[in-house]
Amino acid sequence: MKSPNLRPRNLGEYVCSNCTRQLRRQRRTYATTTLASPSNLDIYDIVCVGGGPAGLSLLAALRSNPLTSRLRIALIESQSLSPTRTFSLPSTQFSNRCSSLTPSSVRFLKDIGAWQHVQRERVQPYSEMRVWDGVSGTSIDFAVPEQEMGVGGVVAYMNENLNLTQGLLRRVEELGGVEVIEGETVENIRLGSDTTNGDFSSWPVLRTNSGRELAARLLVGADGGNSPVRAFAGIESRGWDYERFGVVATLKMEGEGWGGNARKIAYQRFLPTGPVACLPMPGNHCTLVWSTTPELAQKLKSLSPTDFVALVNAAFRLGVTDLKYLHTLESGQEEEVSWREQHTPFSAEQVPQKVVGVQEGSVAMFPLKFRHADTYIGQRVALIGDAAHTTHPLAGQGLNQGQGDVEALANTVSYSVEHGMDIGVRMNLESYESERYAKNHLLMGVVDKLHKLYATENPGVVGIRSLGLRAVNRLDGVKGFFMRQASGTGEKLL
Amino acid sequence: MAPPIAPIRPTSLRNLNLLLRTAPRFVQNQFRNHNTSTSSTSSVNPTEVSHFNALASTWWDPHGSSRLLHLMNPLRHDFIRGCHASQPEPVAKEGLHYLDIGCGGGIFAESAARLGSTGSVTAIDPSPEILAVAKSHARQDPALASRLRYLNTSIEGLPKPASLGGQYDILSLFEVIEHITHPAEFLDQCTPFVRPGGWLIMSTIARTWTSWITTKLVAEDIVGIVPRGTHDWEKYINEDELKGHFSKKSGWNSPRVVGVVYVPGLGWKEVDGSEKVGNYFFGIRRDE
Repeated sequence: MKSPNLRPRNLGEYVCSNCTRQLRRQRRTYATTTLASPSNLDIYDIVCVGGGPAGLSLLAALRSNPLTSRLRIALIESQSLSPTRTFSLPSTQFSNRCSSLTPSSVRFLKDIGAWQHVQRERVQPYSEMRVWDGVSGTSIDFAVPEQEMGVGGVVAYMNENLNLTQGLLRRVEELGGVEVIEGETVENIRLGSDTTNGDFSSWPVLRTNSGRELAARLLVGADGGNSPVRAFAGIESRGWDYERFGVVATLKMEGEGWGGNARKIAYQRFLPTGPVACLPMPGNHCTLVWSTTPELAQKLKSLSPTDFVALVNAAFRLGVTDLKYLHTLESGQEEEVSWREQHTPFSAEQVPQKVVGVQEGSVAMFPLKFRHADTYIGQRVALIGDAAHTTHPLAGQGLNQGQGDVEALANTVSYSVEHGMDIGVRMNLESYESERYAKNHLLMGVVDKLHKLYATENPGVVGIRSLGLRAVNRLDGVKGFFMRQASGTGEKLL
Repeated sequence: MAPPIAPIRPTSLRNLNLLLRTAPRFVQNQFRNHNTSTSSTSSVNPTEVSHFNALASTWWDPHGSSRLLHLMNPLRHDFIRGCHASQPEPVAKEGLHYLDIGCGGGIFAESAARLGSTGSVTAIDPSPEILAVAKSHARQDPALASRLRYLNTSIEGLPKPASLGGQYDILSLFEVIEHITHPAEFLDQCTPFVRPGGWLIMSTIARTWTSWITTKLVAEDIVGIVPRGTHDWEKYINEDELKGHFSKKSGWNSPRVVGVVYVPGLGWKEVDGSEKVGNYFFGIRRDE
């Protein structure tokens, strides 16, 4: 194993300029004796793997806090960040990967100075949620009560993921001071060794495909579901695949919605195959998230745009039996749906306005999973976002949980810096895990049970769940509780 | 997180007898005059040194016997900040020099060396085994090397500063004074190391029935989270005794006291008035 070469400039805030000069002198003598094997090891306080929403938020949070702004930080992202930097679409087109941001996440994004860099005209707040049972028809309305309209009256904000990451990246670049390594993959992560310059045997050392080596006081895994950082730390991630796919698409509607532009509404209907949601975007646009079986997802993706639109309209209007039949058709759904709609009673204003078109190339699908890592921390390792947990999209909580992780980890690191603690030591990361783990676990459990509860046509179960929904709908106090949980401002459950 | 609770160990009659020998009884002021003619050359008690030598290997084990000290460490910095904030003139933002006496494995010394406001930390301990642990542990953080210096010595072995430049902004004695046989003499030895306007900061335990029950009976004997023999209750010092000591000596001002309590599940918390019954921080400033 090569000896890491301590570059004095890498010691950052911890070393005064006097000592740095001294170290430089020492290094010169060291270098002359080891010219044969120059090492590329760079020492960082934090190396974050993954430049998605979680990773970029963490960097923006750390760089915008005066206590942590002097940490030496590197980001490694395997993809090029150029598409994020240059993301720009006309106001009539939207990326198909959107997320719901809770007011609590938006408050955090404002705190770290990122929200002002998001293209706000592409963000759609909504103030009402209509959720109903596709089998029994029982519904529950979530509207922001009048007395809470003053605080924004927003349940959540729909936003394109690329719009968010672009805002975050702009903020990170505005703050500066992060070594951004993009388009390079992490080839391996191993522990360092005991050298004349220090004992790195507890430090993760990452090697990229360009041969660069980075030693990390704290290695942050923001590297998604198949996190290499989690694998390095030997942390198991447990769970199951739902055998469902999420089908997403950008939809063009016949109007701005029943409540107009001022009062946008999100719709979700639970079908036995999974929930289908129509979430408002600016203007006459909506984003579709339809969770369904792999076969039906494949089928949806292969339909012509007119048949696809017809099937989406049917998903919010027709009975479960009609939908089953429509799925078996090779094509011609449009004709079939318009005939069946005339014979199915439904209240037009209780469901989304009619879909009139689908944005070309916007239909995509991805598998749905439940995963939760055994722990979020290890010695000099912390996991955030999807690397720590993956959840069903039915409650729109995945990205918000990641933002909650980031805020907690940034606070933990800040406390450590303020008190002279080594930010990478597991004991000093315990408060991050204790703040997030149980909270995430509880929310994921509720989401998972909701999916399972609604993925059945068993009459007994349907009857009981309808009673439950009806009861919840009548009790404003209980409804308010669920609403506040959904918008991330809720009571602490634990 | 709560500390790992060991199963309750049956207390044998012999142990009980040993324990009761340390039980509270009338002890006069810790700063009573002792025979100075036998003035030792060192403040260090050899029995204490051998006890802590034996603890060396577990000093940095986050679930070991020093866990409570690790958890307490951030409060030490909060207390020092409170002392600095009470000064009429603001404290320097950088270049502060620390002398940490009885540094043990270096929990406080390392953390002080990491602060942006620190110029240097000199940390001393009479136990060679513990100092070896401290030095080896500090190598795990390459940023410490240029700012942290460990010396295997007692305060008597450290050359007295010849000038103002050799004195320290902060002299710290964390969980030390209760292990010293002649505390008054020891504190006098420390004085010349504190620069005018600098602070002497310490933490220790009050000598009360409560502290006997928590540190001897519960911590050492019943639950066993602290090794037997770590504490000698009779050497504990109350905060009024410390204040009394310094008020008799000229050259000190602005004593500050904050009591802290360990709450299982929550960690260490500052609790007003608890300095009278258990662990507390004490800080005093040297006249300028």
